[in-house]
Amino acid sequence: MSQSRIIVSLFWIGLGIFVMIFSYKLGLGRLNNPDSGLMSFLLGLILVLLSLYSLVLSLLKKAGEEEPRKEGRSQANYGKIALVLVALITYSFVLEKLGFVITTWIFLFLLFRGMGNKWITTLIASAFTVLATYFVFTFFGVRFPPGIFR
Amino acid sequence: MDIFSGLLSGFQIVFQPVNFLYCFAGVFIGTLIGVLPGIGPTGAMAMLLPTTFGLSPVSSLIILAGIFYGAQYGGSTTSILVNIPGEASSIVTTLDGYQMARQGRAGPALGIAAFGSLIGGTFSVIGLMFLALPLAEIAVAFGPPEYFSLICLTMILSVYLSRGSLFNSFIMIITGLILSTVGMDPISGKTRFTFGCGTLIDGIGLVPAAMGLFGISEVLMNLEESLERVIFKAKIKNLLPNLEDWKKSIGPITRGTLLGFPLGILPGGGAIIASFVSYALEKRISKNPERFGHGAIEGVAGPETANNAAAGGSFIPVLALGIPPNVVMAILMGALIINGITPGPLMLNQYPEVFWGVVASMYLGNIILLLLNLPLIGLWVKLLKVPYRILMPLILLFCLIGSYSLNNNVVEVIIMIIFGVAGYVLRKFDFEVAPLMVAFILGPIWENSWRQSLVMSDGKFSIFLEKPISLVTLALATLVIINALIKYYRKNKRRFIFE
Repeated sequence: MSQSRIIVSLFWIGLGIFVMIFSYKLGLGRLNNPDSGLMSFLLGLILVLLSLYSLVLSLLKKAGEEEPRKEGRSQANYGKIALVLVALITYSFVLEKLGFVITTWIFLFLLFRGMGNKWITTLIASAFTVLATYFVFTFFGVRFPPGIFR
Repeated sequence: MDIFSGLLSGFQIVFQPVNFLYCFAGVFIGTLIGVLPGIGPTGAMAMLLPTTFGLSPVSSLIILAGIFYGAQYGGSTTSILVNIPGEASSIVTTLDGYQMARQGRAGPALGIAAFGSLIGGTFSVIGLMFLALPLAEIAVAFGPPEYFSLICLTMILSVYLSRGSLFNSFIMIITGLILSTVGMDPISGKTRFTFGCGTLIDGIGLVPAAMGLFGISEVLMNLEESLERVIFKAKIKNLLPNLEDWKKSIGPITRGTLLGFPLGILPGGGAIIASFVSYALEKRISKNPERFGHGAIEGVAGPETANNAAAGGSFIPVLALGIPPNVVMAILMGALIINGITPGPLMLNQYPEVFWGVVASMYLGNIILLLLNLPLIGLWVKLLKVPYRILMPLILLFCLIGSYSLNNNVVEVIIMIIFGVAGYVLRKFDFEVAPLMVAFILGPIWENSWRQSLVMSDGKFSIFLEKPISLVTLALATLVIINALIKYYRKNKRRFIFE
């Protein structure tokens, strides 16, 4: 736990410094006459200070005692999470090239199957969902990319 | 407009067939969301936000509000029958509700939850009606300094009242504020943190951010654990609680209403805190507290009433002041802004039909919910059996369609995915994402009120202390901070000495 807290603190410190540098470039103005970057600069500063405090605390603690590690769902379904993420990212990049119907059909097919549905359920559910969403949303005025059906 | 004629005009709006339909659709979807696993009211509202853009402001508000308080009803059904809370404000209902179901008393448990919700919900709408108008009349005189201080207090309270660690919530508020600065600075016209991305010039969109944080990341969290549900297989009978049940429940219902309503107005947890406090209170004042946890009907009646009363109360700050007290209200406010209406005291004068329409729809919606939930309980029980492996791809698809159809822009989809992954990682490290969203919505108003105040005062900070309301608000905020620090110090005292 303590180790992950150190990593988390380092992340927030990094983010805070990044925000401060970019805010500084935007122009800070003065405290009573702020320019565009001042608020985010101060917020970044608070973030850095808070996380430094937390970092020091967890470093001190680590030297003393180790908190018991949280065990449990360590054997999580990371495979499924990876599948979902890859599917989502691919979807967003392919959608405008292949068009809504084909992209969505492939997307649903992979996910339904990947979640452990039977082949027949997968086929029917994905085909039905594509058609239903296409017609319902088009009815409500949503324009989907036609892709190769142009 | 006085209350009577206002309410009358509100009912005229709600009984227009279109709005009646939207009210029904809202509470129906709300119940559905409450019953189905893996998606809460916040994510559902974000997903449906794009479809409300074509509607009139009052219709879109009616449907979104319906989803919110409808979910409070649906959430209790799963708590009682499956021992899995449909959403956070029904967690305590599992303690006694599920035990009642196991003892063959699922019917009365569901019944008292529905009636309690109706009573709590209705009384909180009455409270909303009587409180929002006077509050808005005072708030019309508020200028930037008052808003700056009020938002400070809101954010500090929402950290203080959050469930997780204070430290983490505070970090989330700061992060939300930083994210809210992305886009064009309205005062100087400079673009901030856009990194050459054209979509970001108008700022990070509310819809992709909310869908990512509350839709996608929720799905990813749920994928970690198997959501196999054991549904209670008893026949549900006797939905109407008997006289004995009513006798036991009338106290908890009254106290739940009185307790929940003011807790809903406060920033932070709202309905969630109200349900926990109500349960604790009922257990403490009970003559035989050992019954709690073994199917005491008071433990269902109190919290279920309190969370609905709180849901009504939380509309007050957003409708009267334009300051959302919790994340659901923040999304509601975002919906209004997208519709071209800025919520707040002026809204009640300029668009009274929006306020009264929503108030009237809540009276109606609560009654529809009772009818939906008691006679149709069998339908919801069937829906409980929809497996997550079917549901999950559909939730993802709705998020994708929703974020894309905003502007037919793939960049919005990518923003949503980034927020989804970020939300998942944050949750894994015990950071609650709700305060982030509240700060994200409040950020621009906060920054502008700060800068406008300083323009008003020629750069003197004393302006925040000269205005009486601002002074009192800041003093309150300081007190909360001091209190939190004392608590923190006491908690860690031993550790400090040890070191």
